[in-house]
Amino acid sequence: MADLVNNFIVLEEDTQSGRYLTFNLGKEFFGIEIKYVTEIINMMPITSVPGLPNYIKGIINLRGRIIPVMDIRLRFNMNVLEYNDRTCIIVALIDNTDIGFIVDSVSEVLTIPESDIVDPPEMNKSSNKFIKGIGKVGEDIKLLLDYHSLLSCDDAEIFTNLAGG
Amino acid sequence: MISVLVVDDAAFMRLAIKNVLEKSGFKVIADAKNGQEGIEKFLEFQPDIVTMDITMPDMTGIEALKKIREIDPAAKVVMISAMGQERMVKEAILSGAKSFIVKPYKEEHITQTLMKIATSK
Amino acid sequence: MGEQYNGDSLLEMFVFETTQNTEQLEKIILETENERHFSDSAINEIFRIMHTIKGSAAMMSYSYIASLAHKAEDLFFFIRENSSIEYNSSLISDLILLCMDFISSEVNKIKENTELDINGADEIIIQIEKCLEDIKVGKNSNPKEISNNLPSYSFKAILYYEEGCEMENIRAYSFIRDFEEYVQNISYNPEGIIDNDDTAFEIRKNGFLVFFDSNKSYNELNDIIMQTPFIKDIDLTLLDIEKCSHECTDIKPEDKKDVKNVLIQNEEIHNNKAENHQSAQSIISINVSKLDKLMNLIGEVVIAESMVVENPDLKGLELQSFRREALQLHKIIVEMQDMVMSMRLVPLTTTFQKMHRIVRDMSKKLGKEVMLEFIGEETEVDKNIIEHLSNPLLHLVRNSIDHGLEMPEERITAGKSPEGKVTLEAYNSGSNVFILAKDDGRGLNKEKILAKAKKNNILFKPESEMTDRDIYNMIFMPGFSTNENVSEFSGRGVGMDVVMQNILSIGGAVTVDSIERQGTTVTMKIPLTVAIIDGMNISVGDRHFTIPITAIRESFKPKKNDIICDTDGNLMIMVRGECYAIIKLHQQWDIETEIQELTDGILIMIEQDERRRCVFADTLIGQQQVVVKSMPDFIRRTRMVEGVAGCTLLGNGSISLILDTGWLMNAEIK
Repeated sequence: MADLVNNFIVLEEDTQSGRYLTFNLGKEFFGIEIKYVTEIINMMPITSVPGLPNYIKGIINLRGRIIPVMDIRLRFNMNVLEYNDRTCIIVALIDNTDIGFIVDSVSEVLTIPESDIVDPPEMNKSSNKFIKGIGKVGEDIKLLLDYHSLLSCDDAEIFTNLAGG
Repeated sequence: MISVLVVDDAAFMRLAIKNVLEKSGFKVIADAKNGQEGIEKFLEFQPDIVTMDITMPDMTGIEALKKIREIDPAAKVVMISAMGQERMVKEAILSGAKSFIVKPYKEEHITQTLMKIATSK
Repeated sequence: MGEQYNGDSLLEMFVFETTQNTEQLEKIILETENERHFSDSAINEIFRIMHTIKGSAAMMSYSYIASLAHKAEDLFFFIRENSSIEYNSSLISDLILLCMDFISSEVNKIKENTELDINGADEIIIQIEKCLEDIKVGKNSNPKEISNNLPSYSFKAILYYEEGCEMENIRAYSFIRDFEEYVQNISYNPEGIIDNDDTAFEIRKNGFLVFFDSNKSYNELNDIIMQTPFIKDIDLTLLDIEKCSHECTDIKPEDKKDVKNVLIQNEEIHNNKAENHQSAQSIISINVSKLDKLMNLIGEVVIAESMVVENPDLKGLELQSFRREALQLHKIIVEMQDMVMSMRLVPLTTTFQKMHRIVRDMSKKLGKEVMLEFIGEETEVDKNIIEHLSNPLLHLVRNSIDHGLEMPEERITAGKSPEGKVTLEAYNSGSNVFILAKDDGRGLNKEKILAKAKKNNILFKPESEMTDRDIYNMIFMPGFSTNENVSEFSGRGVGMDVVMQNILSIGGAVTVDSIERQGTTVTMKIPLTVAIIDGMNISVGDRHFTIPITAIRESFKPKKNDIICDTDGNLMIMVRGECYAIIKLHQQWDIETEIQELTDGILIMIEQDERRRCVFADTLIGQQQVVVKSMPDFIRRTRMVEGVAGCTLLGNGSISLILDTGWLMNAEIK
């Protein structure tokens, strides 16, 4: 019985692994593993919270759930773009933490096999640490995001230390 | 030490119960392979408590239980039954069995039940 | 909330249940009146109902109702045990109906809070006694003794059998057979256990419910029952005397065992006073997860509403009637929201009342006289928090009685009344609920605590630097114990750190204060993360904030003349001769707003820990009851947010941040 359940879970994960939701920031395309994504919503009013770094825009009320939202552009130190009606929030559940990512627009769900993913080149680019791989889809490339470093509070901690002196 | 008489027609079960009990500090002072022998051993050894299989050839556990209770109305007999023997178990309880254990059992079921029965008044 | 409902949930339950029971009884009597004899099931049912009424009435201290029900119970017990006996069923029916009428009219008076007819039962009791005597005399053989002369109490026990033990019904039967040697007046549910194998399933699921009377002590009975093979757990409750039990008799076991439930008092959420006397109160239990779901759904409704009303398609249209109806819809939705929120709230009453039990047991056992007092027990707390409070309170009350209160002689010598007092107090303050457990006992002994701490090597700073408070609070450190004698109730004194753990787990804090020879007070501060507060909503620019009403002294438009600027450029305001610092929210948090001048906005005076400051905001939006939600984990983990105690959803679905009043008091003003 337990085996059955386990098999089922493995199976379900199988159908989702290698599948990515792609979105774009300007001309660049990114992919995030779909198994973390819980929903995609249109831009909605964000309540800012004092004290947070600029890329954490604040919190939203998603049907009674309070969810923090992060602007991926700002997280990558890209230039600010005014939100428009294509701007989306990708809501994800990672390690039991709800979080929303603000992106320019979402495009499609793709399957990128392991064999088409290469490690990111060693470059001294600030956004690089958030990329865990580069997926090749035909002629295009998609930058695959590393959720954990996106959420890590490394710089947050530095910030606190500075502030706390 | 609590003395126990084990009545069961299956040698394997007798041994299994004996192992469990002795591991937990009971003293299995005798065993018997049918009801009649059970009654004789009961008279001979006067155990604190009896475990009694229900279905046995010649004389069933229930008949033996009734006889034992006639001999000693305070006798403490715990029935060992298989699943689905509701009717028999009922009869046993109505005939004065203290409790019953359903096979397949867990070791602690036997030890705890016997301990509780033996230490109650 | 407090104004709408100051209820005593136990009393409501009593009224509700007794009303139902009397109605049921009346039905049975009327159905069987034409028969010459009561059927067995009718007798059992009447017996059971009387037994239940007796138990709950005794618990609520309506002893005259209890005695009446007891007499009626005796009568039916006799009839039940002597099935061949002759009796005049119509006479008995009359008698029982008389009984019922009396009880229901008294219950009505209890509900209406009018004067009770305490002696009214005597006449009926005499009649029942006479009737019972007549029946007994009518029979030749010697009837069984009904009850012995020792004082005996009524109990309720729910037995839970071990999983997989099989044939629970037969086990239950065997239990009853053996148990009858120890107790009297046994009745149980489900009935017919030996004949009906389906009851095994019922017992497995709900436990086996047994009512009985006994003159044995609670602990003795507990031990006897636990001695039964395959009993995993029991829930033994004393039903009789005083109001010392924590539940009404007929809550179905599954309600309390399996799912998290919350009692919903239909009545209390109707603040319509006109309804008060007409309808019987109906109380049902609901799974908390359904309430959570409902709360989220209401949130969606609120958002959907604003999306409809603010729909861009409506722009430029003449919408007078639409707006009017939309406003009506809005009102209804707001009301719904309030109601859903209030459903999750449970007064602390029941939790507090559970303590009567331990007080009674312990005072008897230890020979101490103890009075238990409640203050503010109607304070409402979220269901989720209530669940974490019982254990800590139990530990604290135990500790107070066991170690805090002195023996009567010692108290008299110390010039105190022989009766010790334990007080449980609750109140809302700022963004917290405070729960205090006080006793007027001997207080904590500093020297002993210090000695013990040294011995266990848990001194966390040099002794000379420790305040009294520091010393006292060491009792909450793991493994600490000042108990000279281990006792049955407080064990080895591991209780205090358990209290600490429990309260910490819900984000609270515990402190202890003590005055030697005068007593000890343990204060538990519970955050409002899931509670509801009265909040004042304010705005700064396009942002909304909420300040707990309890922290607000007043709000006012400052006059230019009262504003003072000191040499460092700090702004202050003079109010009735006192000077208060001003914290400008927009400046503090860089919020864009047109309201920059003090005279254009509003000042809100906040008080905490006897200190005051004024908060400057654009405007007050209004007062509202708000459900406090905690900030998302992700944000809390950054530990970068200061001054925000949580957040709440406003009627239109937008989020308002709840200000941390402690921070407002202490923040460095920018």
